[in-house]
Amino acid sequence: MTEIEVKSLDFYYNGDARALQNISLPIYKNKVTALIGPSGCGKTTLLRCFNRMHDLYPKHRYEGEIHFQEKNILANGVDLINLRSRIGMVFQKPTPFPMSVAENIAYGLRLKGIRNKSELIGRIEEALKHAALWTEVRDKMNESAYELSGGQQQRLVIARALAVEPEVLLFDEPTSALDPISTAKIEELVVSLKKDVTIIIVTHNMQQAARVSDMTGFLYMGELIEYGTTEKIFTNPDNKQTDDYITGRFG
Amino acid sequence: MSILRTCGKVCSLAISPKRKFPELIFLSLTAIASFSVIFFIIGIIIVLFKESSLAIGKFGIVDFLTSTVWNPVTGVFGAATTIYGTFVTTALALLFAIPTALGIAIFVTEIAPNFLKGPIGIAIELLAAIPSIIYGMWGLFTLAPIMSRYIEPALQNTFGKLPFLSVLFKGTPMGVDLLTASVILAIMIIPFTASIARDSFNLTPSVVKESAYAIGATQWEVVKNVVLPYSKLGVFGGVALSLGRALGETMAVAFVLGNNHKIATSLFDAASTITVTLANEFTEADSDLYLSSLYYLALVLFVMSFVILAISKFFLLKAERKYSR
Amino acid sequence: MNIEKKRKIESVIALTLSGFAATIGLFWLVYILSDVLIHGLGALHISLFFNDPAPAGAEGGGLRNAFVGQLMITFAATLMGVPVGILGGTFLAEYARGKKFARIISIISDIMVSVPSIVIGAFIYAMLVRPLHHFSGWAGAFALSIIMIPVVLRTTEDMLSLVPWTLREAAFALGAPYYKVIIQVVYRGAATGILTGVLLSIARVAGETAPLLFTSFNNNFFSTDMNRPIASLTVTIFQYAMGPYKSWHEQAWGAALVVTLFILVLTIAGRLILKWRYRR
Repeated sequence: MTEIEVKSLDFYYNGDARALQNISLPIYKNKVTALIGPSGCGKTTLLRCFNRMHDLYPKHRYEGEIHFQEKNILANGVDLINLRSRIGMVFQKPTPFPMSVAENIAYGLRLKGIRNKSELIGRIEEALKHAALWTEVRDKMNESAYELSGGQQQRLVIARALAVEPEVLLFDEPTSALDPISTAKIEELVVSLKKDVTIIIVTHNMQQAARVSDMTGFLYMGELIEYGTTEKIFTNPDNKQTDDYITGRFG
Repeated sequence: MSILRTCGKVCSLAISPKRKFPELIFLSLTAIASFSVIFFIIGIIIVLFKESSLAIGKFGIVDFLTSTVWNPVTGVFGAATTIYGTFVTTALALLFAIPTALGIAIFVTEIAPNFLKGPIGIAIELLAAIPSIIYGMWGLFTLAPIMSRYIEPALQNTFGKLPFLSVLFKGTPMGVDLLTASVILAIMIIPFTASIARDSFNLTPSVVKESAYAIGATQWEVVKNVVLPYSKLGVFGGVALSLGRALGETMAVAFVLGNNHKIATSLFDAASTITVTLANEFTEADSDLYLSSLYYLALVLFVMSFVILAISKFFLLKAERKYSR
Repeated sequence: MNIEKKRKIESVIALTLSGFAATIGLFWLVYILSDVLIHGLGALHISLFFNDPAPAGAEGGGLRNAFVGQLMITFAATLMGVPVGILGGTFLAEYARGKKFARIISIISDIMVSVPSIVIGAFIYAMLVRPLHHFSGWAGAFALSIIMIPVVLRTTEDMLSLVPWTLREAAFALGAPYYKVIIQVVYRGAATGILTGVLLSIARVAGETAPLLFTSFNNNFFSTDMNRPIASLTVTIFQYAMGPYKSWHEQAWGAALVVTLFILVLTIAGRLILKWRYRR
């Protein structure tokens, strides 16, 4: 079932610098979709269209549509704050807030108006369990989030994003700043999360895409070159460029 | 204007009216707060002009700036004596302070062993934090007697005997004079200048210094030929900033300068600066013209220090731009 | 003497001179502080804090009115100046980040920091004293707050700019509006830096005399009325030190010691807080 449908999307930075050209693809519910491609191909740009992060910066322009559950989220008048609580994002570098572990998770919940203490505690625990972090931090709840290791911080950030129960979760190269063991833990987490959340992950690590995703899109110079099941893309791609990238002939 | 665009951008971040309102309020509060600085400076300029307009009308510009008469009784006022005093004390203070401050900066950055760098740095910052009135009071009670009893007579007996310099050391050394005031002012600005110089010196990349050492340069040569030229802009900016501060100093000087409206030729004479005149006479001014002339002096001082501070900012910004590459 | 030897000697001389300069610089610090300490300690009787000034030249007077007045003026100035400074710095570092007019305001703030404080006193005199026909503690506090605002504004702006942008993006991604991002996330990240800026600005104005000379003026009697002239330690030091009585001089030293200690403690506290926070 299609959760998000991208229709003929063009994106321009600074008025006329085109970064995405005529992108169309379906994002399937409860599946992991990976976006791969060489540096500068536009995969992060595309990712940031889904939660309209570009709106924070002036002179951006969208053309085309992105339909999320039947509504075009690129239209004028869309409530961005509501959108971002339904489509969450995890960044490349772990970004815990300067607060305790518990307060980090509670932040998004408080934004949504949840004040009841017991409800907050319950949902915090749930989110941490969901992010496979609960056992490690259950007795550090009131310590500063900066006391955690890099991998733990990233899982904390994921828990924070999960706490508001988004329908889609966007990952922007979530493990590129982490060591191999933490990376493995997060990849495990991504795969286990998909039964509850639709996931789109940008990665420059092809092996990671092959490990965790169900669908893969290959972008190059702002265009979607090929999109299909991960198995097909990595074993038998239709497009020669895709094949060259996968086999390492460029990128 | 770009302010409207900022508002527009912020508003587009939160579309629904329920959310727009608190955002707008916070935005407006912060914007007004930041513009208050502009309001104050413009307000100060306007008020100074308005208050001095009476004196400007009576004395004009050139005449006021060059007249050495300051007579509250006859109602004739001229700024030359106070401007002279301001310049002399500031110039002398800088003369004493800059080499010392540079020496301190060189010592802290290049020579001092690591365990000393921290404490000396702290000492400099503490010195810079001491309010000027403490310096002034100390100057009156401790320094002035020392000056009048030992240092000034000594100067008089040595340099004072030389043909051209004797005029500088004429008169009975009372301790309350141009020289003492300049020394106090110098002591005041040394820590400030040293701090800025030290920060500028520290910006020199160690690779550049290391390559100089690698060619066989002595420590002094590295300082002279590498560090100093590299930090030129920052040091100029720092000196100009110290100059600007020294110009506006009141309390450090007020205790030990006396308040004598004349063009003093000897370092042992009492004199007056704009700030000291303002401090001593503002509340005594008994006529509108008197007060207006005092405001005129304040205006002159404000313009002078604003220009110098702007120049210093120019240099400091240039230094910043150069090093943040 | 070969050239190498000459250069080495030159280096030693030059560096010795700079060591000499450092010694001179430190010497004054030690001398002045110890002078203030020695003379001031002698004057620190209980009576200094609990008595009001005696009639001119008589013994046994104290400076209670000046201590109280100084505290009130400084407190009022802080209440007025710090919020404006913090909000102003927030605007420059957040909503107006990168814009040209923000740069201009920043530069003018820097200049305002170093403007002669006596000119600010004259400004307030024309605005708040003459129209009301009397000096007042409020006028003095207002003059001090004008000095504080640019100091707090600049440190706030600098500290907020140190908070990495990705932190803000992470908060946005959770669906927070910008003002909440600033107040709930960015302020927390920059809190210690801003606090240090505030402490240093208080240290700065606690020792100011010139702006008070014709705004809050002085008051020989105990008063807590901010609408009237009110005593302050700094102006009292000026008056007493320039006066003829020995008892006045003593009290001036005592007041000077208290003021100096207060400012040094604030300055050290500010630096320590910053160091402790960023040692990680």
